Amino acid sequence: MPSTRAADVNGACVPCLRRSWLLASLSGPLEYCARDRERLQALLAVEDAELIDAIGGRRRAELRGEYASFGAHSLHRCAGAQALCRHDPRYPRALLDATGAPRMLNVLGGAERLVELCSAPAVAILGSRRPSDYGRETARGLARGLSASGVSVIAGWQDGIAIASHEGALEAGGATVAVLSDGIEATTPVRRRALLGRLARAGCAVSELPCDRAGRRWGQLASERTVVALAAVAIVVEAEQTAGDLAAAGLAEALERTIAAVPGRVTSPLSRGTNAMLARGASIVRDAQDVLELLYEADPSRARTAKPESGPAAGAPLDARLQGLLERVGTGSDTPDSLAREGLRLDDALAGLSELELMGLLSRGDGGRYLPASPTSAATRIPNS
Amino acid sequence: MLARAHAFTIEGLHTRHVTVEVDVRPGLPAFTIVGLADTAVREARERINAAIRNSGYEFPARRITANLAPGDVPKAGPGLDLAIACAVLAASGQVHGERLASVALFGELALDGGVRAAHGTLAVAQATRAAGLAGLALSPSRAHEAKLIDGLEVAAVEKLRSAVRVLEGGAGDPLPRANPDLPAVYDASATTIDLRDVRGQAHAVEALVIAAAGAHNALLSGAPGTGKTMLAQRVCSILPPLSTDEAIEVTRIHSLMLGTRVEQLARARPFRAPHHTTTAAGLVGGARRGCVGEVVLAHNGVLFLDELSEFSRSALEALRQPLEDGCVAIARASHSAVYPARFMLLAATNPCPCGYAGELERCGCSEAQRARHARRLSGPLLDRVDLLVNLTRAGAHSTSATAPISSAQARDRVLDARERQAHRLSAQGVSVNAHMDARLLREHARLDEKGEEMMRAACERGLLSVRGEHRALRVARTIADLRGAQRVRARDVGAALALRTSTAPGHGRLA
Repeated sequence: MPSTRAADVNGACVPCLRRSWLLASLSGPLEYCARDRERLQALLAVEDAELIDAIGGRRRAELRGEYASFGAHSLHRCAGAQALCRHDPRYPRALLDATGAPRMLNVLGGAERLVELCSAPAVAILGSRRPSDYGRETARGLARGLSASGVSVIAGWQDGIAIASHEGALEAGGATVAVLSDGIEATTPVRRRALLGRLARAGCAVSELPCDRAGRRWGQLASERTVVALAAVAIVVEAEQTAGDLAAAGLAEALERTIAAVPGRVTSPLSRGTNAMLARGASIVRDAQDVLELLYEADPSRARTAKPESGPAAGAPLDARLQGLLERVGTGSDTPDSLAREGLRLDDALAGLSELELMGLLSRGDGGRYLPASPTSAATRIPNS
Repeated sequence: MLARAHAFTIEGLHTRHVTVEVDVRPGLPAFTIVGLADTAVREARERINAAIRNSGYEFPARRITANLAPGDVPKAGPGLDLAIACAVLAASGQVHGERLASVALFGELALDGGVRAAHGTLAVAQATRAAGLAGLALSPSRAHEAKLIDGLEVAAVEKLRSAVRVLEGGAGDPLPRANPDLPAVYDASATTIDLRDVRGQAHAVEALVIAAAGAHNALLSGAPGTGKTMLAQRVCSILPPLSTDEAIEVTRIHSLMLGTRVEQLARARPFRAPHHTTTAAGLVGGARRGCVGEVVLAHNGVLFLDELSEFSRSALEALRQPLEDGCVAIARASHSAVYPARFMLLAATNPCPCGYAGELERCGCSEAQRARHARRLSGPLLDRVDLLVNLTRAGAHSTSATAPISSAQARDRVLDARERQAHRLSAQGVSVNAHMDARLLREHARLDEKGEEMMRAACERGLLSVRGEHRALRVARTIADLRGAQRVRARDVGAALALRTSTAPGHGRLA
């Protein structure tokens, strides 16, 4: 559409910018509709005029007037963010094919980088907002391993698994795509702005809302559909068996993405959702290697070439004492006290735990419990002697 | 005619020597007291007048001026009555008070000439000896308290007449029998709490012994019901006993501040556990003139802050100076004072707002709540805490493979370790590892090669800050002392690192 492309703002055309503006203007009604997830996802897929009719309420006439006279200059612009719409050839292909996917994205970190990240195989990491240390560490390890092998990690910007995934990928020097639920300048919580800055230097953050608009709860649900749409494989790390935790997996199913889950303890409520998914036939993920095999199922030769990173201590054999201690921690004796109950001397236990922590094989979690490093790094760092 | 007597006034914890000068000269009958006297002292005129008459002496119908020197020190309380009355009698020639110059007088007068006790006796007795006076005359009910100070001649005076007899070289009244039911302010033998009562939690008990051995400040973290408070209450039972000087200090502070009657010295270290609604002024003092806070009451003992995260920010900030310097300097518009406050800090907290973090997914706190909780705890106060002791519920339920150790056993180990520290550090003016500075650490906590390597690795992994490194070294030194070793080995460093307080940067959680 050459006539509209003349009014481009950083590469997005007016109708697409208008869509973004419309969603932000309907934030109130959308928030109300967000109580029913399916209704919200359905609404996000409807055309503009219908959307105003459906939920515009008393403001319908006013909105129609504003809609007709919309000009791109009325949108707040922010430094560093680039707009990219579906009419741009660089727009991620995965979003074009998915129904209900956003039509334009504000990109922090550069459109070129988004293109680059989306052309590589992409994996979405999903899960609870209140994970256990096990879940957090697993997500971190998966992201670390995957991004080190050149896979793009996609995740939301919520607490818990999503943030752990970004942190893990950044630790490995990799890049992630963060799908924000608010406008780029209005992201919450504020304490994460530093992480966002770090992320934008290596990877990119995207948002479908105008830069200065907050997305509220519906924005979070909307960002989930973008996360799964961008990825080829969706991994759920830890999820309770509640509609909220499993919604993203449902979206992935609807978009026909490969669904995988990390198994957990059968007694833990935080693993009931994922264990149920596994029972229903989701692929099992234990470490980054499992994900790579899922990604390259059609092309096993590539799977051999892409190997997860190996840790700094790779190859150095662990002595029997520490190996034994590590195994005990792995099987649940994760406090000095419980190790002492198994007959270890307390000072031996303390010293050994510290040594393992300094090697990066253990970390100290909630309540001073030790947990083994994530499967990826553990598997590659400990020789199977 | 002029007469002089010696007395003391009390200001907060400090006693000030007061010279009472009384001048009696012809003129219209008047009785004036000058020298920054408060209401209680000014009212003394009436009490003295009646007491002198009712004791069978004559109250001089002349112009009497009593001066309390030094003139710039405010005098408070009724303890000066006895000294003024005796000086009046001497100045009017009714008493040959040759001993007025060597005996301090301390007490309030009753209208019938009886001598009443005034509070702060122990402090006054101590000050009397320090001022080089030979004796102290005071009410019989507090004579035993004054007798706690060695080398001081204590005369019990029941009446003004007895005081006059003492001043003329006679003997005081007989002392009442000591009251065996009156306990010492702190007495370990009076309580039955023992470390042996703690079931399981072997790790926490060991950490507590380490903390006691090096006088390290410690933070106990664990879910509700894991025994944090129970452990903390037992720490005094494993600390070394008070030395005589320390005992006098503790007893003096408590007899002054709480106004309690004491007949014996404190036998155990004070254990103060202020409620978490305590304000900054409540913790360090200074609300009123002469009002001291919990940190001063915990001097030479333990200050236990339960539910640390619930204390107000300002209250916790106020603890920085006493933790660093061992004293509090209080300056207000009307007064300023420095009080001793060297204590061991024990604090207890839940690991997260609901308290169940790390307890098999029972925690229901959001990231934001946890971050807020960790932020409340972290910062300057935690910088001065050497040990973090994590308690778990499983640890509380189980019976440990090893038998629980008793307070007596633990205390023996602590005493051994303290002796080693004192031997090593006494030349530097420090007595415990917790007070070693960076220079002493370099000298006395030298590590072997593997230990150095572990420290370096911990710093590189971001597990320790520079301050954290010093704390870990101090703890490692104490662990080696408990083992009876000269050198700090790598495994001591390992154990110290497992007890470190610092969190991984950006982790935002107390772990």
